[in-house]
Amino acid sequence: MTKEDTRPLVLIVDDSPHVTGPLRILFEETGRRVVVAASIVSAVRACETERPDLMLLDVSLPDGDGLSVLEILHGTRALPPVTVALTGHDDDLTVQRCRAAGCRDVLLKPVPVRDLLRHAAEWIPERVVSA
Amino acid sequence: MTARTDESTNALHPSASVEARLAALEVAHQQALREIAELKGRDTLKTQFLANISHDLRTPLTAIITHAEILREGILGELSTRQHESIAGIISGGRRLLEMVGEILTYARGAANQLEIAPTEVAVGDVIEQVRRLNESLVARKELCLEIRVASDVPRVIADREKLAHILGNLLGNAIDFTPAGGRVWIRASRQHEEDRDTVLVEVGDSGIGIAADHHELIFQEFAQVDASASRQHHGTGLGLTIARRLVELHGGRIWLESELGHGSRFFFTIPTQHQA
Repeated sequence: MTKEDTRPLVLIVDDSPHVTGPLRILFEETGRRVVVAASIVSAVRACETERPDLMLLDVSLPDGDGLSVLEILHGTRALPPVTVALTGHDDDLTVQRCRAAGCRDVLLKPVPVRDLLRHAAEWIPERVVSA
Repeated sequence: MTARTDESTNALHPSASVEARLAALEVAHQQALREIAELKGRDTLKTQFLANISHDLRTPLTAIITHAEILREGILGELSTRQHESIAGIISGGRRLLEMVGEILTYARGAANQLEIAPTEVAVGDVIEQVRRLNESLVARKELCLEIRVASDVPRVIADREKLAHILGNLLGNAIDFTPAGGRVWIRASRQHEEDRDTVLVEVGDSGIGIAADHHELIFQEFAQVDASASRQHHGTGLGLTIARRLVELHGGRIWLESELGHGSRFFFTIPTQHQA
């Protein structure tokens, strides 16, 4: 019988390996597990099956507005406890839209690695980190 | 523009009948309208291309910078001093390139009238302090004296904080760039009343190389740097002042400069205390 992996799970939703590649290394090397989704459909499925503790969400995905993931999962148990928008757009309207959709933070890519590590400790619920 | 036809040129000659000349004028007018529409269409395409390409450039740059920062943090193992130096060079070069790409994106959005402002109540002094902090290492590196003076009666303004910081950042960046080591740079803010409205007047000045009077308007035009040697010595896209002017005007303010070659520059802009929709 294999022991259950209790490390926090991070879902990275972005269609570019340029973005997901380094983030996967960063989170896996600092004690988290990582799942990657490249579309709205695969992100919703990943939330339902994997139940990530943190979702990093690109607002612009090949099949539409990334924030739709939050809309689709709204009110369900599959909605991740914390979602953070990672975006290439830093205009005020994008920031307002992300916050209105339920994102805890909106970070402009590339987020400095030091900031990302510091924020990750805040985003991932304490009970999971200590599990 | 293509040359007018010989026929229409001849018809415009004083020897032609009035009817023929009117008809030729109408033909030339219609031709000019078509050409203007075509040029506007091409300009829109160029602007859209700039916006697309700058957005697409950000993604691989993001990868380069993030991978380098992972290495710098020692997440994949400790680095030697020389390796640290090398990685620091990749990161600072990458972030500088990213700033320039961002500037082109902002310009393209402005040119396409896609820039919008989200006004809130802003203390100008706080934004000046934010921009000062961002530039303090550059100021120290060039051993410049940076003086900040915000009058005690400066009111809060209704403005887009981020865009106000962008305007100030561009002006201060230029002041630092074009002032030789050991020089003076300053930012001042005061209350003004002009054209029946209250404004905050901000001045960003320097004791640097200055700008000749016949270039005062040119430098606000896109891609302009007053001479080729300046663009070689001083990095940048040549879009900073174009963007600053557009952002000031979006707030209902105005921007201008006073400068003389060899005697420093003083850039001024106003932000109305109430947002002008």
